Amino acid sequence: MVLKCEDIWREISNYVDGDLDPQLKVAMDEHFAGCAKCRSVFDGTRNVVQIYGDEKAFKLPANFHPQLHRQLEARVQGTRAQGSAWILAVAAMILLAASVWVVTLHNRAAVPVHHTMSPETAERIKTLVVVAGDTKYFHLAGCPYIHGQQRTMFADEALRQGLIPCDKCLKDLAEQLTGIGPIRDNDVASKDPAMDAE
Amino acid sequence: MNLKLAPDADSPVSAPSREEEYALIQRILRGEKELFHHLVRPYERRVYVMAFAILRNEADAQDAAQDALFKAFKHLAQFRSEARFSTWLIQVTLNEARMRLRKNHLEIMRPIDEVEQEDGSYTPRDFTDWREIPSEALERKQVREMLVKALASLTQKYREVFVLRDVQHLSTEEAADVLGISPGAVKTRLLRARLMLRDFLAPGLDGAWANPSTLPKGTKPWS
Repeated sequence: MVLKCEDIWREISNYVDGDLDPQLKVAMDEHFAGCAKCRSVFDGTRNVVQIYGDEKAFKLPANFHPQLHRQLEARVQGTRAQGSAWILAVAAMILLAASVWVVTLHNRAAVPVHHTMSPETAERIKTLVVVAGDTKYFHLAGCPYIHGQQRTMFADEALRQGLIPCDKCLKDLAEQLTGIGPIRDNDVASKDPAMDAE
Repeated sequence: MNLKLAPDADSPVSAPSREEEYALIQRILRGEKELFHHLVRPYERRVYVMAFAILRNEADAQDAAQDALFKAFKHLAQFRSEARFSTWLIQVTLNEARMRLRKNHLEIMRPIDEVEQEDGSYTPRDFTDWREIPSEALERKQVREMLVKALASLTQKYREVFVLRDVQHLSTEEAADVLGISPGAVKTRLLRARLMLRDFLAPGLDGAWANPSTLPKGTKPWS
């Protein structure tokens, strides 16, 4: 097998890796014996592999290992702290929900809420509304149009987010604010806001 | 978390066997998170070098190495034991480094020969005789800087293959898996990468650099 220099260059990487057909290797050895150019290409390629494969080719920054160790440790600890924070947050939410529930029960029993918390907090809690499903409406507690997944938020926050009270709750609110008694159903279109959203 | 460092934190640590490594991973996944550092300690150098080869900047490489190891910790459960852990870790690091490169828009600084053909043909430009290199020469900062400069001259696709095969010592198949390309493409890119590096380095590294006293004062062998 007679090889040209171009054939040698094409296979030189495989030759360095010892990944060659034995016959081809013999032919390349013969070529190298008589071709200084290809021999220099081979030497250089082998040197490149050797020099970059040496651990000393890349020096690590000073204190790399201890620094990495410290940072990694801090971040893994951070993960744990975040985990604890999450558990605390859930616990806080459960406590809050339980408090609201207790307050609601107290309200139903005609016990003024300010007996159990500060008047400001009590007033604030009264503004909690329910957002149900993926709609633009919020509801007052007890609204029959609360359907689907529910979440609570304060009314001012709901309004800031562009949510509006459902028709029934708007009517109830109007009654409370004006004190003019029940508004007739045909004064405010009565329909299920969830249906509207769909 | 109380991670115990090896007595000499900069000394190389030999990797455990695959069985030992697998057992270690299982213990970490069961909650012994303090063992994670023992798991990655043998590969920290490789992680850094992989990141550095892609990002070409010490500070970025350190950050990327740290992020890659942390991601490996978070996603350890996704490691499949068919592959070597070190290969998986290198892949995580490569992905992290690539992501940083994209984020920093560093790809616009890539050399311009990205559209080269991948038919395996490459004509060496230089035929300087390059004598064998003594390993001690790598103690010289000048030489190491030259190697970094040469590596940085390659386009990313060649640099990635070269680093995986010749610096990280992955097999052709492992490199192909990491990069998501065929083993044939790995071989083709590797050939070109090696020859391009040789062309870059040979004119200066023709043996004179191994013995700097032979050079005229003030000159660098590669200038």
